[in-house]
Amino acid sequence: MFSIRQRLSLLPGLLLLFGVWILDLKQYPHIDIVPYFWILAIIAASVTIDIVLRKYAPDADPYIFPLAMLFVSVGLIMIDRLKPILFIPQMRWVLIGLAVFILVIRYGKNIHRLVQYQYMVGLFCLATLCSTLLLGTDIGGHQAWIIIGPFQVQPSEFAKLLIILFLSAYLTDHKNVLSLPSNRVLFLRLPPLRFIAPLVVIWGISVLMFIVQRDLGSALLFFGIAVFITYMATGNKSYVFLAGIFFSVAGTMTYFLFAHVRVRIAIWLHPWADPTGQAYQIVQSLFAFGSGGLLGSGFDHGYPGLIPEVHTDFIFSAIGEELGLLGALAVISAYLLLFYRGFHIALQCRNEMRMLLAAGLSISLALQVFIILAGITKLLPLTGITLPFLSYGGSSMVSSFIILGLLFVLSKKENSNG
Amino acid sequence: MGNRNIKKYIVNSAVFFLGLFLILMLYITYLQTIDSDELANNSLNRRSAQMDDHIARGLIVDDKGRKLAYSEKTASGFSRKYPLGEIAAPVTGYVGKNLGNAGIEAYANADLLGKTGDLHKIGPLAQLFTADQGNTVKLTIDASIQKAAYDALGNRRGAVVVLDSSTGAVLAMVSRPSFNPNSLEQDWNTLQNSPDSVLLNRATQGLYPPGSTIKPMIADASLKENVTNTDEIFNCPGYLDVGNYHLVDSHGEVHGKVNLKEALTESCNVTFGTLALRLGASNLENTFDRFGFKKSLDNELSEANIQLPDFHHLNDGEISQVGIGQSTVLVTPLRMAMLASVFANQGVMMKPYLIDQILSPNNIIIKKSHVEKWLEVTSAQRAQLIKSYMENVVQHGTGTEAAVSGIVIAGKTGTAENSGGADHAWFMGSADLPKRTIAFSIIIENSGFGGTEAAPIARKVITNILDTEEGSP
Repeated sequence: MFSIRQRLSLLPGLLLLFGVWILDLKQYPHIDIVPYFWILAIIAASVTIDIVLRKYAPDADPYIFPLAMLFVSVGLIMIDRLKPILFIPQMRWVLIGLAVFILVIRYGKNIHRLVQYQYMVGLFCLATLCSTLLLGTDIGGHQAWIIIGPFQVQPSEFAKLLIILFLSAYLTDHKNVLSLPSNRVLFLRLPPLRFIAPLVVIWGISVLMFIVQRDLGSALLFFGIAVFITYMATGNKSYVFLAGIFFSVAGTMTYFLFAHVRVRIAIWLHPWADPTGQAYQIVQSLFAFGSGGLLGSGFDHGYPGLIPEVHTDFIFSAIGEELGLLGALAVISAYLLLFYRGFHIALQCRNEMRMLLAAGLSISLALQVFIILAGITKLLPLTGITLPFLSYGGSSMVSSFIILGLLFVLSKKENSNG
Repeated sequence: MGNRNIKKYIVNSAVFFLGLFLILMLYITYLQTIDSDELANNSLNRRSAQMDDHIARGLIVDDKGRKLAYSEKTASGFSRKYPLGEIAAPVTGYVGKNLGNAGIEAYANADLLGKTGDLHKIGPLAQLFTADQGNTVKLTIDASIQKAAYDALGNRRGAVVVLDSSTGAVLAMVSRPSFNPNSLEQDWNTLQNSPDSVLLNRATQGLYPPGSTIKPMIADASLKENVTNTDEIFNCPGYLDVGNYHLVDSHGEVHGKVNLKEALTESCNVTFGTLALRLGASNLENTFDRFGFKKSLDNELSEANIQLPDFHHLNDGEISQVGIGQSTVLVTPLRMAMLASVFANQGVMMKPYLIDQILSPNNIIIKKSHVEKWLEVTSAQRAQLIKSYMENVVQHGTGTEAAVSGIVIAGKTGTAENSGGADHAWFMGSADLPKRTIAFSIIIENSGFGGTEAAPIARKVITNILDTEEGSP
């Protein structure tokens, strides 16, 4: 009656249920029944969504939604284990994310028509970025939050989406101009300045994000997204080179101008010089990975609570400790499958705007996962950025589901009027 | 067509990310395999300490199962209790959350926590082997002998070691002044700065010149190397001039004409200084080696390294001093009990040990120490001969204060000169008790003459053992 794929799509729900049962067994007989209503709601919602999507969009990608739910389940049981008080809030965000996912699928099928409104998107994107720069509230050391009424919104999560939308629209429209070698500067082939101005603006804002808000993660992410989408649209390596120069110059300047940049680099290069002070968090994260070893300490048997803020940026360190190298590699492999499906969707598109958008969204997910995982393992300097679908946080969850919804929409065979 | 190019660039970008993630996965693999042990065992990694807080540390018990240390559940975790307090502190050591552990608490830490090997490598399976209750460490110590020796020392600074000479089992190991392990964390600052080094276990860590207690060994060496025989008569005028070193007998005594037996009985410095000169540097060095002074025990007794002079750079005066246990020879009280055990045990030195068994919480034996013949030091006949000389010390010589009627006791007194102040009083020897033969050594710091200060303590300890062992079948 059910296909293997459909039966496998039940796995994330079972994972969530079993994980919470394991945690509750330790609490027995003091079991709180309320979270189970939320769990059942999530399982019911995800199973229903899966069945409905298969029925009404049989040609769309069948894997990305179950993969996302797998991450959601792993994230939820880790949050229940690390910060039980945030378990229900996070499940609320998952349900909101699922609703947004449906809305994006329902109304997003003509997303490629945004080409016509590219400058409006661009302005909106600029406004969002500037609002974080001007109105940002200082939470956790960097100003990446805007508080609207009872909500704390992390606008950078949404600015990311707008940048991808704007760039794929703008570059689709101006691709030909941009890839024409009009100006030759040394060995670089560059189009007239006014065409590359929007790129330079985004790069500049990325650097400002870092300087003003100390948000290296978002800065790197925006910058990287811009570079990759430009490269994919034009195939002009001069942009990559130019971006590299821009990045080096900006990086060097900020290093010498701002003490907090020097501190961050010093922590990265020499964490053992001050393991109980400024490098505390990264050193604790490394201890978690080392103590986990090959097989991990076992779910709920480690001490990831020693890492400050483990439920948000460092949730993967907890996975490395309790589920071991095997668990860590399994999660990364699942992400690689998601990215693979994302790029696959991009390559199946026929419309250039859709193609660029799908690739851009995939790149943004891959880049974000890479930046945070490299940061918490000390491969790169540590940056505060969430792990999509896994970390605690509403803005991240909602924006990740928007990306997923867009990818889903883009995976459907487009209308010939595109 | 542009589409095809875009596809190519998308594939390029995807491949680039695949490369990035491969690097990341390799790096995480490195962290969690090759780098794993170092990170897991880093002293700043508080995981193992947090894990330990959830385990009830096992018991430390004496040879009859009497508790020397146990854990008591409190609201905030476990609290460690030591029923014998200061008496057994040098044996048990302590658990210091912030200070680190010491003594058996440190040496047998893994056993007391119920850990078997390095568990973090087997991952979640480790949960199967992680007990809530640690293992019991059963010692060779006899709490009643320990207490008797502690009481016998009184308020004087010193140490007592009692061994079973046929097995090497340490029956008592006392050091005074001691500390109370029950209130160690509160008392730490006072203890650490105490001028009497209360935290030092004098029995195994204290280093003293052996003085005349080394003479039985010199006698054995002299007979073995044929530099004398049992009949030779030495003439003792009360002094011996070696080069420009003037060796004298204590209290200006003149022993006159003595043979080896009489020289040992009266602890004649002139005779033993002469014998050391006859033996010479090489023979003396070999003798110290033969009696194990150059070998370290490397076990739970955590003995300090014995200090020996560089024999081949000694002048004759210094060599004659080695013969009476002075020069730069420094030994632990444990070593002198081991030396005494050789003559009580047919020339064989058993390896001393403190941990008898490790038992699971439900009393299944997990590990058992086996009695180990450490060194075959000397022949049974010569050991018996020297022992008879030492019996004479207790019957007629300097050690009469140790005598207990009806019990064969061998002994040797010592009065060790030291640069730090008044002489240390020594007494070492053995006693053939109804149930076993014990070897012992006693030192009392800066108290003077061994025969009057240290020997009575041996008598008190032996009497106490006789009383308690007769009382219990």
